[in-house]
Amino acid sequence: MNDIVKPGAGLLFMKIGTHAKESLEDIIARKTAEIRNTGYGMWGYGGNTCHPGSMVQPFARVFADRGQTISLCMEAMESNHFGEGIADEFSADGIDWQKIPETIEVRGSRYALVIDDLHEEKFALPLDQTRVPVGPSTGRLGSRYIRGRVDKACLEVLEAPELVNEVKPRTINIGLVAKLRDPYAVFLRGQR
Amino acid sequence: MGWISDLVRGGAPRPTAPSAPPTERKRVDLRKAINAVSDVVQNRPRPLRVFDQIHMKTGDMVLQSEMIADWADGKRLAFIGDGDAISVCVAYLQTRDVLNFGPSQITVFDFDERTVEAVKNFADRERIPNLDAILYNVLDPMVPEQHYDCFYTNPPWGASNNGESVNVFIERGMEATGHAGEGVVVIADDDELEWPKRVLASVQGFAAGQGFYVSRMQRKLHEYHLDDAPELKSCNLYLAALPGNVPSAPSAAITDGKRLDNFYGLSQRPTVRYVRARKRLDYGVAHEDEYELEFLEGGHE
Repeated sequence: MNDIVKPGAGLLFMKIGTHAKESLEDIIARKTAEIRNTGYGMWGYGGNTCHPGSMVQPFARVFADRGQTISLCMEAMESNHFGEGIADEFSADGIDWQKIPETIEVRGSRYALVIDDLHEEKFALPLDQTRVPVGPSTGRLGSRYIRGRVDKACLEVLEAPELVNEVKPRTINIGLVAKLRDPYAVFLRGQR
Repeated sequence: MGWISDLVRGGAPRPTAPSAPPTERKRVDLRKAINAVSDVVQNRPRPLRVFDQIHMKTGDMVLQSEMIADWADGKRLAFIGDGDAISVCVAYLQTRDVLNFGPSQITVFDFDERTVEAVKNFADRERIPNLDAILYNVLDPMVPEQHYDCFYTNPPWGASNNGESVNVFIERGMEATGHAGEGVVVIADDDELEWPKRVLASVQGFAAGQGFYVSRMQRKLHEYHLDDAPELKSCNLYLAALPGNVPSAPSAAITDGKRLDNFYGLSQRPTVRYVRARKRLDYGVAHEDEYELEFLEGGHE
């Protein structure tokens, strides 16, 4: 248990790909520079499991209303995917768009999380002690939710892990952490 | 339940049909049925997740279309929203003579002009005179020119509002039938999660309050292209009006904030009346902004 994984906390879990073209260290260095130069950074992602408008923003606002921040907890994994193209504009609601600052590069992504305080931090995330608090999987245990193609999730930490005999407890080794900041997640479009 | 679904599910006992079928049901050519539904899927606009548009998987669309054609055989059927295009499948399967039964008239009421145009274009291209679509927002009063016999809806599932968004769509379906018909509601059905059970209870309670009863339920039938809940299934909940049922009030706009909170999901109130279609020349083909051509030497002269 640490400051992030504590009962009642909200976190956004995401597997992040490292690849030959850009190592994890390179990504961290690039994003850290973005945050330093802009005041915030954008972490690009895709898929429908963390849609900005219907999942991440409402989830984050619930915790913001309680005075809590959402931690982005990332697990590094090998990936062959390398998104091409650098997004040109971002929007919090998909209606009003603005230019992405020149100091930020989001590559090959439809959406981006708005982050700061990116740093390496190693700890175990017990998925059996988390549940999905938003969307059509509301109430599903994190360990049952994150499997197969599901590689990212909004999660809430429970008081205690679910204890069952059928399956072993499942933990994930987190290696990289950031804080989400308002507007938490944005839509991207265009190419710079 | 129809022939395909009997076959897949091991021949469940067939309930009493609401009206006698005009002809004996012929065996369905499964290949023709799947290919016909494939035509419809090809024509369907891409879903907008922000409005909870989530498409049913194609195999389940085949089964669902046959079941709905069987249930609504010879009747006037209103679809209250239909991003899945089950309406088109039902009509097309009959037109292509894959099914020798089906509704006499199908009208789709949808707030997405892309869906409305896709239905109209398909009906025109395939010469399906009994299939039509009307641009309509479910928050507006439902005043059809003529009442329908039955309705079908696969609405936003109400995970964050205890099924209230489902009830809004059902209310419009009931109004389309003058509160005197039948309906099929497609909603989430899951044994592990709590919210689908609460929604099912809420919807059944709402239906009872409107003078409808649950006449049948087919559990865990359909799967969806839903990345964040790939195992979540839906059921068919069949409703029927009690004898002599009448509406308690004329159809009115829905403005009650309590009914609109969390309509499309947590903190997602409706703010859009219509999704308007952008007119484009490359309708139905790959969009030019998806690709560019790199020519062979001498390939472009």
